[in-house]
Amino acid sequence: MTEDEAKKAILENLQGKSKTKSKFYLKDFYSMVPDMKPREIKNIVNKMVQEGHLEYWSSGSTTLIGLKGMGKQHQEED
Amino acid sequence: MGKHNTPMLDELEKGPWPSFVSDIKQQADKGKHILKEAPNDLLGIMEMSYVDKVTHWKHGGIVGVFGYGGGIIGRYCDQPQMFPGVAHFHTVRVNQPSSKYYTSDYLRKLCDLWERHGSGLTNMHGSTGDIVFLGTTTDHLEPLFYELTHDLNQDLGGSGSNLRTPECCLGMSRCQFACYDTEETCHQMTNAYQEELHRPAFPYKFKFKFDGCPNGCVASIARSDMSVIGTWRDDIRIDQAAVKAYVGGELKPNAGAHSSRDWGKFDIQAEVINRCPTECMCYGDGKLEINNAECVRCMHCLNVMPRALRIGEDRGASVLFGAKAPILEGAQMSTLTVPFMKMEAPFDELKELVEKVWDWWMEEGKNRERLGELIQRKSMQEFLRVIELDPDPRMVDEPRSNPYIFWKEEEVEGGWTRDIDAYRKKHLR
Amino acid sequence: MPYDPSNPLQDRITDIGPKYFREFFPPVIEKNFGKWVYHEILEPGVLVHVAESGDEIYTVRVGGARLMSVELLREMAEIADKYCGGYLRFTTRNNIEFLVSDKAKVKPLVDDLKSRKFDGGSYKFPVGGTGSGITNIVHTQGWAHCHTPAIDASGVVKAVMDSLFDEFGSMRMPAPVRVSLACCLNMCGAVHCSDIAILGIHRKPPMIDGEWIDKLCELPLAIAACPTAAIKPAKTASGLKALEVNAERCMFCGNCYTMCAAMPLADEVGSGIAILVGGKLSNRISKPKFSKVVIPFIPNEPPRWPSTVDAVKKIVDVYAKDARKYERLGDWAERIGWERFFEKTEIPFTHHLIDDYRFAYTTWRQSTQFKF
Repeated sequence: MTEDEAKKAILENLQGKSKTKSKFYLKDFYSMVPDMKPREIKNIVNKMVQEGHLEYWSSGSTTLIGLKGMGKQHQEED
Repeated sequence: MGKHNTPMLDELEKGPWPSFVSDIKQQADKGKHILKEAPNDLLGIMEMSYVDKVTHWKHGGIVGVFGYGGGIIGRYCDQPQMFPGVAHFHTVRVNQPSSKYYTSDYLRKLCDLWERHGSGLTNMHGSTGDIVFLGTTTDHLEPLFYELTHDLNQDLGGSGSNLRTPECCLGMSRCQFACYDTEETCHQMTNAYQEELHRPAFPYKFKFKFDGCPNGCVASIARSDMSVIGTWRDDIRIDQAAVKAYVGGELKPNAGAHSSRDWGKFDIQAEVINRCPTECMCYGDGKLEINNAECVRCMHCLNVMPRALRIGEDRGASVLFGAKAPILEGAQMSTLTVPFMKMEAPFDELKELVEKVWDWWMEEGKNRERLGELIQRKSMQEFLRVIELDPDPRMVDEPRSNPYIFWKEEEVEGGWTRDIDAYRKKHLR
Repeated sequence: MPYDPSNPLQDRITDIGPKYFREFFPPVIEKNFGKWVYHEILEPGVLVHVAESGDEIYTVRVGGARLMSVELLREMAEIADKYCGGYLRFTTRNNIEFLVSDKAKVKPLVDDLKSRKFDGGSYKFPVGGTGSGITNIVHTQGWAHCHTPAIDASGVVKAVMDSLFDEFGSMRMPAPVRVSLACCLNMCGAVHCSDIAILGIHRKPPMIDGEWIDKLCELPLAIAACPTAAIKPAKTASGLKALEVNAERCMFCGNCYTMCAAMPLADEVGSGIAILVGGKLSNRISKPKFSKVVIPFIPNEPPRWPSTVDAVKKIVDVYAKDARKYERLGDWAERIGWERFFEKTEIPFTHHLIDDYRFAYTTWRQSTQFKF
């Protein structure tokens, strides 16, 4: 799978779930791109944040990642 | 008199120990911080907690500087109307210099920066070692980061599922016990893993800490997933004249650490020889002897007689893995994994080791599972296999007492496939 | 070029790490790096380190509240300029160290530091925290800044340190006594290997804000946050999607509240303090060991937490009187036996103190060796 295909798979996956859940652990992304190594996936996910497709959500102790602008907590921070 | 009435907190201005309440009030009265109402409103909301006995903070969120998944932690108070000055009150973690030396000039630059972009309140330092800027609003984060990196040549620390800001003891800069250069190691390892520090990479947090000797001043054995603790392999160096001077009372034992109380005359037999955990020392005819092969380097004799005894010269570090606070499986201390490693720049051996550990943890670790828990779940044997280390009796306190060994098929001659018909030729049904 | 808000990513600098520490070394530290031979504590809070070259560096250590204002930091900078050529450092236990190479400057520096007080009357820079004394309490954020604390941190520390103040400024303990505080059991300031640990604990499971929870939170995240799988989906009486907590499985960690503010945990009477003792980190004489819970609960008593202060003081006093030289608190308790520890400290032993979590059996006694 190429990087672009991986990005596409991730976006499709997140969009499919966005009604019930908008934030995911890094590990949850592994199953969206099954033929890549964790480190490669991590790098792609972080790149997608740089590119503005995804965003981090941090509890301070743990980081979750989701589609930019999605999720219920947003109202509170705006 | 502050903006809010704070009779409970005012009780904490009494007594001799430095009062954080007085300090916050001083900032509120005299400070030049841009978020003018923050210190007063912090006192206000804390007073409310003192009355209610519960916190008034919420936290977490998307706030951060662009592209970083760590370093900023969103905080919001749950009474924003009453305390608008702390309605949004985010934490900024700034990566401290190794062992926290500063010049007054640089300290003032940090103060200037934080006056321009925040509450004027800090933690020097946070639990993990960062310079913590306590409380600012989202609009200040990007300008603060810009000035931090451009004007102060300085980066943020870690938070979330990242490598956390590494920390070290003061090492060779001011301590005769330092067995390796903790400060340089900490600095180089921090810089080598900036990606892991700033962007989420792991199932949960990961900490490095670097202690220069087994006294463990930076608590690495209890507080870091990878604990690097200085040690040596050769002999403790003895200055027999100085030993005699301690025995004779000319030198102050313990470097004076017990001097506020009369413990009687220094007794080398009772205080050093008999206290040695491996009984590897003796003193007679004015001469101290150490059977160095039996020494476990507990540091006691060196601590008691620092002018007579010095660490050996073949120095390096032991590397231990897996310490963590109680969440979830219970608190763990790090387990001795590499008894001895030379610690010299560019620290390739250490980097190679930790990268193997990370690859395994990224692959196998469950969400929010610390390394120490993963090792417990998958077994120490599996961990050693992954990092390609041979087992060593130094890694355990004692061998297992239960005989339930999970033999692997390839370890047993002939494997597990057997011929039942051949068996039946000799054994009737 | 200054920051341009219309183009925040212009000239962006990232991943440069911390400042290089050697830029901040006093000249004598730089010159004698790695060549220190020995040290001596001249008086509580004042150390000298001597190098192979014969050079000396004097350190004056003062305690600090971890929460510090920039006004106070500026005052430290001014002191460092006046006496120390502009150099100072901080310790891992929130102490501040002023470094001078000229012995003649030590006394004026100490006198100056001791003379500085806040308007409220407390010392700004108490000198001490060395050797076999009680140094500063490391702690967490508490009610000043954290969302899951069971207790305040700064206030409890202030009250306890006031009562231990004489021990901070002297060295009459049998061995160092490290006191630490974490305001909830997540222990962002891991205190589990301290001689005395003051730990905030919750005792009531979270409430569910049923009318709001589905609007404010993503329910699957709250469910996933629970380490004991005690949270499951539910419906309110009016049919709204919500959650419910299996109270018997709740370990009161607050992870769900972290993910979902509609599950508040802290409680006026449910939250309070547990005291743990006998841990250590150093390998000196005995191995590092965990702290053990000896008081399962003390109510929150702001503003000065008298029951907690008394409990800590009592443990310190009994230990100081009874332990042998070099014996850490945990070594002492093990030598005399924990049954004696409870007798001597007059702390009641209750069923809460017997472990029933993951490694429980390792702490039960499998022996007939005990004391009456």
